Amino acid sequence: MYSIKGGVGKTTTAVNLAYEASRSGARVLLWDLDPQGAATFFFRVQPLMKGGAEELVGKRGALAGHVRGTDHAGLHLVPADFSLRHLDLHLDGTKRPTERLAGLLEPLADRYDVALLDCPPGITLTSESVFGAAEALLVPTIPTTLSQRTLDQLAQFLGDRRDAPTVLPFASMVDRRKALQRSLAAELAATAAGFLPTTIPSASVVERMGVERAPIGVFAPRTAASLAFRDLWGDVAGRLWS
Amino acid sequence: MRSADATVAPAMGQDVTTFASPSTDLETVISALEARGFRFDGHEQESRTVLDTFDGRLAAEDLRLERRDGGQRELVLGGPGVVAAHVPADAGVRFARDLPPGPFRARLASTIEVRALAPQLTVVGRLRRGEWRDGTGKVLATVALRDGLRTDPSADDLPGATLEIEHVVGYDKRARQTVAVIEDAGWHRVDGDTIGLAAAAAGVDLHGFTSSPTVPLDARAPAIDGVRAVLANLAESIEANWQGTVEDVDPEFLHDWRVAVRRTRSVLGESKHVLPTAVGQEARERFRTLGRATGPARDLDVYIIEWPTYTAGLDAGVREALGPALDLLRRHRDEAQRNLVELLRAARADGWLARWRSWLDGPVTDPDQGRDQHRPLGDHVAARIRASHRRLVDHGRQIRPDSPAEALHDLRKDAKRLRYMLDCFGSLLPDHRRDRFVKRLKALQSNLGEHQDAEVHVHHLRLVSHELHEHGAASGTLVAIGQLAEQLDRRRHATRVEFAEQFGAFDSKATRRALRDMLDGIDG
Repeated sequence: MYSIKGGVGKTTTAVNLAYEASRSGARVLLWDLDPQGAATFFFRVQPLMKGGAEELVGKRGALAGHVRGTDHAGLHLVPADFSLRHLDLHLDGTKRPTERLAGLLEPLADRYDVALLDCPPGITLTSESVFGAAEALLVPTIPTTLSQRTLDQLAQFLGDRRDAPTVLPFASMVDRRKALQRSLAAELAATAAGFLPTTIPSASVVERMGVERAPIGVFAPRTAASLAFRDLWGDVAGRLWS
Repeated sequence: MRSADATVAPAMGQDVTTFASPSTDLETVISALEARGFRFDGHEQESRTVLDTFDGRLAAEDLRLERRDGGQRELVLGGPGVVAAHVPADAGVRFARDLPPGPFRARLASTIEVRALAPQLTVVGRLRRGEWRDGTGKVLATVALRDGLRTDPSADDLPGATLEIEHVVGYDKRARQTVAVIEDAGWHRVDGDTIGLAAAAAGVDLHGFTSSPTVPLDARAPAIDGVRAVLANLAESIEANWQGTVEDVDPEFLHDWRVAVRRTRSVLGESKHVLPTAVGQEARERFRTLGRATGPARDLDVYIIEWPTYTAGLDAGVREALGPALDLLRRHRDEAQRNLVELLRAARADGWLARWRSWLDGPVTDPDQGRDQHRPLGDHVAARIRASHRRLVDHGRQIRPDSPAEALHDLRKDAKRLRYMLDCFGSLLPDHRRDRFVKRLKALQSNLGEHQDAEVHVHHLRLVSHELHEHGAASGTLVAIGQLAEQLDRRRHATRVEFAEQFGAFDSKATRRALRDMLDGIDG
């Protein structure tokens, strides 16, 4: 889960998508890489990584010891803590920083069908390491006039990379009352490569996640937002397992 | 309930600790757990059914698929050390393809392939769940308390109760604390889990039926004893796969049934002087008829199974246009299946197979003894494997680039005969030496198999095209069939060209050395 921009609904999508994926029979590992630890908070897991980010990305670091079960079957989490704010610095100290996250995930490859990485925004060493680990980049995109430009920037950046992940953008936080957003979302779906058909609406139920500390599907499963996340997972599964 | 040292099936889920109690007093342990911080739900009625293929493919991979009919209906795929995956399942699921696309279906399909799932055991009973949560409401450990357990199909009641701790990853300390509470309450730990205990108590083997041709053999024993042991094992496989073949449960029943018949034919053919003449002769004739009857249905099964691979390289439009061809193949296949079932039912009604089984299981009292009946089994098997290898090499050397396709088909049968001897008498041969030889033979078999499949399927496609044309099929369909036939023909041609190289690699000093090493020591 990645976006150059912040505040586009990345963590909300990561949490809900992880939940919907696990409900559909996938074994999911959600790795919270954002030092704010919002995904960790939503799953009521303590924001604590023993040894911190430095030990994790160090030579002897391993992910398995940091995995925590959530309250949802088939969904595990690697929590974030504040030490992740220096993750770029620690990655920079490793031999092949852009391959380090993939190296940490590799031993768990047989245990999970899906690893969802919730990345902090921006193009940083951490995001480059995520690009090295990911098969697909899910990019939440608020339909504005600048969105296409941001997607182009990302495509340009990835264009030079060998084994670049597939970019799967989707419309996020769409206010259906705004005609401009609706038309831009439709235009992006028609023109942007890999754009997923499902639109995630801007909805007040998303804000309740902080109160309920759970994915929307748990406390409001029949709402439009919950169903949209379910459909979004269907889109992703269709692309990756068709 | 079984004791802790009993051998039971592995537990479901990655970390489950199971306890059993002969008593039905659950309140003591519930009170102790509540004092620790657990909160319990009320009772619910639960039914769990273990699903697997007839040959236990999931169990062989240490996986277990459960259909749970409790509060909500779901399928759960788990196993020891495996993160359990859950998927809602309102409708019945027989094949992997019945599930929606996604990782669950992909995992299941990669293990069971085309096989059907069938219930192996159902355990019903009362369930009470308890959860231990922290101040934020996060679950730290869960327990499942079950009593009033009954199994189906045996309908046995299981006395007492079970209690499973479902560990939450990363909260090991809480699991250990829970274990201590339960042990203090007088419950004893057992291996496996409730399903495993129920299966053991009901005498249900969750590993399914294995159509393995290998039986323990003694190289010094009289040849007739070894040959009869092998044939009896194959007869068991024929019997086990009979019903599934007749009912057309999945294509593997017919495959396994056909292979068991073919192995039987090979062993009979290579043991002409071991078995009493009259018995051997009748068996050879009967099994020849049965074996031949399976050909059309199996060929079409392979065609339909391989269809997605065959058509993968074609455009989506062409694939769509091929729909009527696939439908017709399916109709041909159903017709071949009906003919096969008719023959199988007639064969069973005639009672010969039952007599054959009795002959294999009883003492040999036939007056006309085979010439090699008392020869040491190792001598006999080594001589027949050498002869079979020689025949394969002689026939292969006669094949030229312009030899007819039938010559390759016959060679394929020679290779199969040799392979079946190695499979059926495998326990006489040292594993690693046998594997070395089989690896070389397999490469040749793979080439011959691909060639034969393409040959048969191109031929069948022409028949399909002709039939569809006669029934006024759309020209798009006929053109698409032409494209597919071309593709298959290219494949057939490529395997034909590769044959010389593959056979050359097999007809080599290295293979002869591998054969010598493999047989060294078994022929006294």
